[in-house]
Amino acid sequence: MTGPPASSSLPGFFRASWLVAAKDLRMEWRTYERLASMALFSLVVLVIFNFAFDLVTVQRIGAEKLVPGVLWITFAFSGIIGFTRSFQLEHRRDSLVALVLAPTDRGAIFLGKTIANLATVWLLQLLIVPLCAVFFNFDLVSVAFPMTVVVGLHTIGLAELGTLFAAIATRLGRGEALLATLLLPGSTPLFLSAVKCTEGVLKHQSLGDLSHWLYVATGLNLLYLLVALMTFEYVLED
Amino acid sequence: MGTIRSMSLWVVLGAAIALIFAAIYMTFLYAPTESMMGPVQKIFYFHVPSAMVAYLSVFVLLGSSMAYLWTRRRVFDYVAVAATELALLFCTVVLITGPIWAKPAWGVWWTWEARLTTTLVLWLILAACLMVRGYATERDAGARMAAVLGIVAALDVPINYLAVHWWRGQHPQVFGPGKKDPLAPEMMHAFLLCMVAILTLYLALLFLRSRLAAAEDRAQSLMDRMRDS
Repeated sequence: MTGPPASSSLPGFFRASWLVAAKDLRMEWRTYERLASMALFSLVVLVIFNFAFDLVTVQRIGAEKLVPGVLWITFAFSGIIGFTRSFQLEHRRDSLVALVLAPTDRGAIFLGKTIANLATVWLLQLLIVPLCAVFFNFDLVSVAFPMTVVVGLHTIGLAELGTLFAAIATRLGRGEALLATLLLPGSTPLFLSAVKCTEGVLKHQSLGDLSHWLYVATGLNLLYLLVALMTFEYVLED
Repeated sequence: MGTIRSMSLWVVLGAAIALIFAAIYMTFLYAPTESMMGPVQKIFYFHVPSAMVAYLSVFVLLGSSMAYLWTRRRVFDYVAVAATELALLFCTVVLITGPIWAKPAWGVWWTWEARLTTTLVLWLILAACLMVRGYATERDAGARMAAVLGIVAALDVPINYLAVHWWRGQHPQVFGPGKKDPLAPEMMHAFLLCMVAILTLYLALLFLRSRLAAAEDRAQSLMDRMRDS
């Protein structure tokens, strides 16, 4: 084939990422394999948390102090399972080689994978957040909008770093254990912001009161995206 | 060329050893004992330079990682290995000396204050960088993954500093705007000498470790050649 690669232009880049994302999401749509294992795992984590703190403790500490930590630990753990699988499937079938051989920028592969991972975690959160509201007994309806913004925004950065680190872990032939070791300390600033914001939302603070943290999270999202786009090709190369 | 390089290495190493002894003298005999905290304040002379050198090392790691990814010259990878290990080493020194000071000063060994937390997190990321190198079956793949991680680890450092302002911790800030003459002159002399001593020690160790990494690599490629023939 001659001519410049399809993704040398910006529309080509986005089209390539969209194709990768659509492929991953279609695979997920047909099996629900990833989403099912993540959802079941999250449920187990939530139940374990309810054993860890009994009802009296929950009532005394208050949901707004307890729930942010519980939620984000659950998202991180189930995310780790999901992110690892997104590369392990390709690794096992050697289809990652085919993906890398495609005449596209490797950054487009990263973006596509991230979009698919992000969509999966967002779907999972649609289930987990209401479930958490039921288990820990807080009023979700009155804070539905700010909660969606806060959770949605912070998950972007988590998916970006998770995708980059999952690629590293898979390339090294390691799974969730290495990803957890890399992702949890690596995304600390994002976690701090996420927990602070979620706590604020549960205390019925407006998004304006939290704007400071929301800017931090947006900045981190952009930073992680930029670094990952620039370094992803070195992770994939053979 | 080779002899000049190894000569200068010995000069730096010798200077580092001499300076460390001078720093110990200045700290314990020259600088006065702090009136409020007593002798435990002397940890400051080694704690703060170690922290500064640990952060410097992270910047060396950032530079060498980026240079390695772009040029693929092995020498940058040797420097990156050395910088990672030394950053981890000095971070460990910071995390050990800190609590020894904090117990009498704050009454607790550890507190989840911003700068402490982020230094511990940096330690964890640096350890993960070394782990990634260890896991790699292929040398170059490990070097590339570690370089990518090194860049992310380095980005943690500016966030670390900003974090202090955002969370407003209880970590003492000796230097900073609006703080005139925070130290007695003798204390300042001792501190500056300790700073130079630890920095020289760092540079000597950086050279030594990079050279060792190069030697390891050469030995490995010789072994590979022997196996192939």
